[in-house]
Amino acid sequence: MDFALNEEQIMFQETTRQFLESKGDLAISRSYMEGNEQVSEELWDGLGKLGFMGINVPESYGGISLGALSLVPIFEEMGRAVVPGPYPETLAFAVPLLETYGSEAQKNAYLPQISQGKRKFTLAMEESGDKNSSPANIQTRAERRGEEYLVQGSKILVPHADIADTLIVPVRTGGSHSEYGISLLLIDTDQVSLELKTTQSMDETRKMFSVTFQEVKVPKTQLLGPENAGWPILQFGLYHLNAALCSTMVGGMDRTVDMATEYAKTREQFGQPIGRFQAVKHKIVDMKLALENARSLSYYAAWAVENNSEDMAEAVSMARSYTSEAYIDSAGSNIQIHGGMGFTWEYNCHLFLKRARFLENYLGSPRYHRETVASELGW
Amino acid sequence: MDFSYTETELAFQTELRTWLEENLPEGWIDGNRYIPEDNQQKGEFLREWQRKLSEGGWAGISWPKQYGGRGASLIEEVIYEQEMARVKAPPVLNIIGTAMVGPTILQIGTEQQKERYIPKILNGEEIWSQGYSEPNAGSDLAAVQTKAVKKGDKWSINGQKIWTSYAHLSDRCFLLVRTDNTGKKHEGMTAFLIDMHQEGVETRTIRSINDRRDFNEVFFNDAVAYDADVVGEVNNGWKVSLTLLSHERVGVARQTFRLQKQFDELVDLAKTLTSNGNSLIEDPIVRQELASFRAKTKALLFSYYRHLTTAIRTGRPGPEGSMDKLASSELGQKMLAYAMSLHGSSNTLWKDDALVDPSWQHDYLRSFAYTIEGGTSEIQKNIVAERILGLPKDIKY
Ligand SMILES: Cc1cc2nc3c(=O)[nH]c(=O)nc-3n(C[C@H](O)[C@H](O)[C@H](O)COP(=O)(O)OP(=O)(O)OC[C@H]3O[C@@H](n4cnc5c(N)ncnc54)[C@H](O)[C@@H]3O)c2cc1C
Repeated sequence: MDFALNEEQIMFQETTRQFLESKGDLAISRSYMEGNEQVSEELWDGLGKLGFMGINVPESYGGISLGALSLVPIFEEMGRAVVPGPYPETLAFAVPLLETYGSEAQKNAYLPQISQGKRKFTLAMEESGDKNSSPANIQTRAERRGEEYLVQGSKILVPHADIADTLIVPVRTGGSHSEYGISLLLIDTDQVSLELKTTQSMDETRKMFSVTFQEVKVPKTQLLGPENAGWPILQFGLYHLNAALCSTMVGGMDRTVDMATEYAKTREQFGQPIGRFQAVKHKIVDMKLALENARSLSYYAAWAVENNSEDMAEAVSMARSYTSEAYIDSAGSNIQIHGGMGFTWEYNCHLFLKRARFLENYLGSPRYHRETVASELGW
Repeated sequence: MDFSYTETELAFQTELRTWLEENLPEGWIDGNRYIPEDNQQKGEFLREWQRKLSEGGWAGISWPKQYGGRGASLIEEVIYEQEMARVKAPPVLNIIGTAMVGPTILQIGTEQQKERYIPKILNGEEIWSQGYSEPNAGSDLAAVQTKAVKKGDKWSINGQKIWTSYAHLSDRCFLLVRTDNTGKKHEGMTAFLIDMHQEGVETRTIRSINDRRDFNEVFFNDAVAYDADVVGEVNNGWKVSLTLLSHERVGVARQTFRLQKQFDELVDLAKTLTSNGNSLIEDPIVRQELASFRAKTKALLFSYYRHLTTAIRTGRPGPEGSMDKLASSELGQKMLAYAMSLHGSSNTLWKDDALVDPSWQHDYLRSFAYTIEGGTSEIQKNIVAERILGLPKDIKY
């Protein structure tokens, strides 16, 4: 029995933190929000040079063959600084999917580039229908025309579509509402012309786009996994991705606890630090407890995906439903503890709240994930 | 990360399971869990269970072998609590003796005290209680006023303790009293190991909201203790009492595993109860609530494992125990409250008329003590805030 990060993972955490601090920590996001996209490019480059983009890429493709657990400390650190960039989508979605379901050609084409920090992936899944997280919501169609697919439809809430080199796009190649008929396409953005439209999201640390496919031609070799049977593959990828998003949220919560604690120690009112008032002090303890709960669940979720354990779906949904809500609460409490300062644009409290709200319902609402837990347990 | 047990640990688990199957009262494992209500009979029942545990070598398992324990590791202690929770074993009457007083005596007691007390704690011959709280000293433990005055090699004790669990069934008490009034209140306290069967000690049971009489008022009128009964040094009782409390980890483990069991039973309850002909577990709102409790229950368990890992790595339990205690008692209370709601209009029916199992009503009421006993939630929050987060301390007088 051993339930903690190992030495190597602790080292990843320290190195990531040092690196992010050297790049300005929260100033990275602030700068990105003001339109300086270069900072996020530099970050990606730097992490690639540190070898972090190859952590879970198999050795034969230039990585170091570690698993989801080794990404945990890195995602936590990224969450602490609410950094921009499609890191979870690339490392915790594209990599496991390519590794497990990619053709040899696809692996060769993508994995070495990912591990060198030269290729970014994103996920273009959500559509505007109201059947979120259900196969019925996927209505973008891909029709086979000889050696190509012709893709027609549109996706929303695609993170960082502007800088992504490859989109992973669940499309319909058959059926109309069923799980059957869904396929995953790898669409390289430099090969096709896509209509991108920025959507104004209150979380300005992650740019969101809607992407329209107008008779976009994609070679059939870009099909990831078997045709029409892409739904379970997508779920597999989402387990990894949701586990990773949990870790980023845990990192964000960790930061809000630190910020609130620090402020409560230094801000004085009525001749004493506000952290002496139990109404404040105990609120921070509640934040801390929620943080550790979320961390425990996210560790377990990462362990479950790394080991492909039987309870993987339950483990991820448990972590996701709890953490999504806890992050929002923690970010809100952090604002409250900072008083008027917390309500200002200038101060960083709101970054966490907005990230938390974006993630709340992205790729499955807490309610959806709780229902997943219930059905996974056979209730 | 590794969630598996070693072979030795698994063997330990199997040995305990087998022993429990053979030694729990008849029908217990099948759910026929009857403990007499009457205090006299209840005392006999619990003493009998304590005796069996001791004979089987299942009391005080973490004690060193030379004192009759098993020298169990932290993990084995955890397995022990897990198994006991799984079969809902009867309470261990001498828990204060085996989990706290014994280890404290082994740690700081005299050779003479070890010889005199240790064997009888383990074999259950002497049941212990813990006399800390007083009417005017609860959370503020350093405010104890019960006084011991020295006369020759004897001490004369006067005052009152309250909430003393099982004092009426106990043979000896680990008693914290004031021996010096002149300095600061944390100074001038002394811990005694006193005899409960003497004229100067009177216990009166107190009835609790769940209609039990498990705790007491204890009155001391010229009760007697001897120099040899002092633990540590005279006027050093504050430190000694903290040593005792540092052995509380067993209680936290017990609460954590009890909660896992209670959650499973909550799910069964939702499967059993119906509304408009449908099982409650099919109700979307109930499913949401239960899934949420599931996540919180698991989070608690995993956090407990994480803290255990830290304790194993560093060799000592840290203040994280307070987080576990706080989280598990608060969650336990909420979960049992939810069980009440699921019962619908029959929720208050109890004892022989309970709708499903009277332990729901009993545990629900009992859960109000979770957040009071062993340091209230507010006090735990202060500990977490001050010792883990480094927030400013409350102003104390
Ligand atoms: C079932 C049960 C068994 C027990 N068994 C034993 C036993 O065997 N031996 C023993 O010695 N004691 C025992 N106790 C006593 C227990 O330790 C005390 O009840 C507990 O420490 C609280 O003390 P109190 O009851 O005096 O409440 P108080 O200390 O008076 O507290 C009342 C309320 O004020 C709050 N409060 C107090 N101080 C603060 C503060 N600084 N900041 C914020 N809020 C505060 C408390 O949290 C609580 O909500 C038992 C209690 C129960 C319920």
